[in-house]
Amino acid sequence: MKNDVFTGYHPAVNFLYFALVIGCSMFVMHPIFLAFSCIGGFSYYLYLKKWKALKTALWMMLPVFLISAIINPLFTHKGVTILAYFKNGNALTLESVLYGLGAGVMLVSVLNWFSCYQAVMTSDKFIYLFGKVIPAMSLILSMVFRFVPKFQKQIEKVSNAQKCIGRDVTNGNAFHRARHGIKILSVMTTWALENSVDTADSMRSRGYGLRGRSNFSIYRFDTRDKILTGIIASMGLIVITGIATKTIRFLYYPMIVINAVTPWTMIVYLSYGALCLLPVVINVIEDIKWHYWKSKI
Amino acid sequence: MALLEIKNLTFAYPDAEKNALENVSFSVKQGDFVVICGKSGCGKTTLLRHLKTVLTPFGKRTGDILFEGKRLEEVSMRTQSSQIGYVLQNPDNQLVTDKVWHELAFGVENMGLDQQAIRLRVAEMASFFGIQNWFHRDVETLSGGQKQLLNLASIMTMQPKLLVLDEPTSQLDPIAASDFLATIRKINLELGITIIMIEHRLEEVFPMADKVLVLENGKKIFYDKPRMVGKALSDNDLFLAMPSSVQIYNATGQIGTCPLTVCEGRNWLEANYSPAEISFSKAEKPKKADVAVQAKELWFRYEQDGKDVLKGLSMQVHRGELYCLLGGNGTGKSTTLSLLCGIRKPYRGKITLNGQDIRKISDKELYHHFLGVLPQNPQTLFVGNTVQEDLDEMLTDCSAQEKKQRKAIMEQVIDDTEIRHLLHMHPYDLSGGEQQRAALAKVLLLEPQILLLDEPTKGLDGFYKYKLAEIFKKLTERGITILMVSHDIEFCACYGDTCAMFFDGSIVTACNARDFFAGNCFYTTVANRMARNVFPGAITVKDVIDACKKNKQQA
Repeated sequence: MKNDVFTGYHPAVNFLYFALVIGCSMFVMHPIFLAFSCIGGFSYYLYLKKWKALKTALWMMLPVFLISAIINPLFTHKGVTILAYFKNGNALTLESVLYGLGAGVMLVSVLNWFSCYQAVMTSDKFIYLFGKVIPAMSLILSMVFRFVPKFQKQIEKVSNAQKCIGRDVTNGNAFHRARHGIKILSVMTTWALENSVDTADSMRSRGYGLRGRSNFSIYRFDTRDKILTGIIASMGLIVITGIATKTIRFLYYPMIVINAVTPWTMIVYLSYGALCLLPVVINVIEDIKWHYWKSKI
Repeated sequence: MALLEIKNLTFAYPDAEKNALENVSFSVKQGDFVVICGKSGCGKTTLLRHLKTVLTPFGKRTGDILFEGKRLEEVSMRTQSSQIGYVLQNPDNQLVTDKVWHELAFGVENMGLDQQAIRLRVAEMASFFGIQNWFHRDVETLSGGQKQLLNLASIMTMQPKLLVLDEPTSQLDPIAASDFLATIRKINLELGITIIMIEHRLEEVFPMADKVLVLENGKKIFYDKPRMVGKALSDNDLFLAMPSSVQIYNATGQIGTCPLTVCEGRNWLEANYSPAEISFSKAEKPKKADVAVQAKELWFRYEQDGKDVLKGLSMQVHRGELYCLLGGNGTGKSTTLSLLCGIRKPYRGKITLNGQDIRKISDKELYHHFLGVLPQNPQTLFVGNTVQEDLDEMLTDCSAQEKKQRKAIMEQVIDDTEIRHLLHMHPYDLSGGEQQRAALAKVLLLEPQILLLDEPTKGLDGFYKYKLAEIFKKLTERGITILMVSHDIEFCACYGDTCAMFFDGSIVTACNARDFFAGNCFYTTVANRMARNVFPGAITVKDVIDACKKNKQQA
């Protein structure tokens, strides 16, 4: 992943942003919102993953979009504008086609945003945020994240070792394979318990269980975090007010109904557009700054 | 006042007939570097565990342990946690959290320090240990050496007065081990922290230590300066574990002061003996037996766009020889083994085993009566609840008649590997050397003709290594071919037939062990480095001792 500026902000800022954007992308089917969300999500994903993003777009996003766009009109026959009739007498309606397209875009953009979320909100950020709510939980989560890859590595080693004495899940007939598999799993349990004794010793000898444990984190909430939180919160407030007051409104069934264009709706559109493009804009500004500083040297 | 004082400590595990520790007394001054040595099972670890109340095993105990003049049980948990640091053997199991920075902070978090104080402590230690470059990494991505360094650093953040280490380098390769020991020395010299350590790399720690404590069957037999201990141990079994220079000094009649390092040893030899060309002959095996393992220009990489790990590797192993593959860490030695045993496949090149192309041998043939593989961690081979159960498991798939036959083989294997007294134990409860032998027994039940071993001497003390070498000798005499990958120069020099140096994806040189080590300047045994000017061609401790004796006769 490229050095992403937005990732460098405080985890709370990252989380607030994703909660807001993913929430809006999931529940608002307004075409202009969908367009902004899709463009914003995809461009950020592209920025994070470079050409790899195009690959995912082609192999995952496109099929999802197509399936959703095709399936909806085949099974939903609501809507007043009839375009044609199927052989069995059901109607193909304009509204269902549009809804299918809208749902496709919605799914794709949500997928995009979640991929970005995964790249930005690493396990330690998540632990930090939710460890504050339940302090013991942050340590447990951290230990789980430590244990899982260790366990996977060991199971691979055991499996290889067993293979070389002809006793892995890939050796023998179905019955043998099943038995070998069970043996390996059972020994892995022993292994995990055995090694956890060491871990427990190491924890106790470092004073785990004393009264008044504190929680350390490497994150700091700086001025830039405050500013960005302000921006995100105010834009979010505008968008949510717009949705809650039904200024922004779009109906697919039984017929297409869209809200009128007023200065107020324009403000909501713009706020949402800016919100979706925020991470990319921050990155581009930073890139330009660097370019400028480099040219000064 | 002594920092730590142990008075008449006697301890017995519940239901044990013998005392694990018997009347052990010694005192450790502030800033001392104490090394504890002894055979495995002599009570070293039991003794160390008494130095911290939470780790003390259950059992009957008499005697006192005083920490700064106060009985240890009366020292509060909080003080003990921060002032007595404890590093265990296995680097992996001690790590609690998933991130390096979190691990560093773990102990101080338990102490309940505030953010700012923790930040400072963590920063201090990360800088002292040079961790800042991997501060944000996942602990899973670290090497073994880095993990153990992190364990040490995360204890140092608690600012201990006493550091207790239980064989901290047994799972590390020689270079990482040297780095780790150098760091311990730095902590001792620069921060004045008292150190008590069990270690079997005596070659390196002997010169560092202020005092050496030798235990035998739970009793203290010596507690003195290393030179004195070296001198005193001349007629003890532990002699095998001493540094090469001490062994040579003792075996040649203890002339002058006892040398501890290569440099001292070299000067000592030059002062007492005159240079001589002595030819050393090793009982040559009937050479040019047919080729058992052959690799022709193997190329391998893990990922399509990754780097090549093997670059045109070619090798030839003859039947009935012990072939040692030496080389640095991460150069691809273990990868080579995984290719030879068919787990991974080269993308170019050909492997033949006993003249057959490996691709044409089915899995069933390959792993029965043909190829035996002992992985680096012998634990990965065990699936049973006792050693016996584990060995029986190898017979489950055969017919009744075959079983009878195999039983006879099993009896022989048990005798060969000397594990009869361990059969009723759980494989995880065995010591490193015993585990290694039990795993070897399991592999030998398949009656392999070719044995591939990945670092069989890792974590073993001198005594167990000797035992293992005896077993290897028995096997090769029966015509079994052994190919081992190792870091252990001393072992390969003493027992190997052919040694090969692995570097940058292929074998740089392969020749018989004597020529191999006599030709190298740095990558060679301690005895050879010491004696190089006086007796060129002497590579093992035994060679040097023989040469000294001959030299004296001539004089």
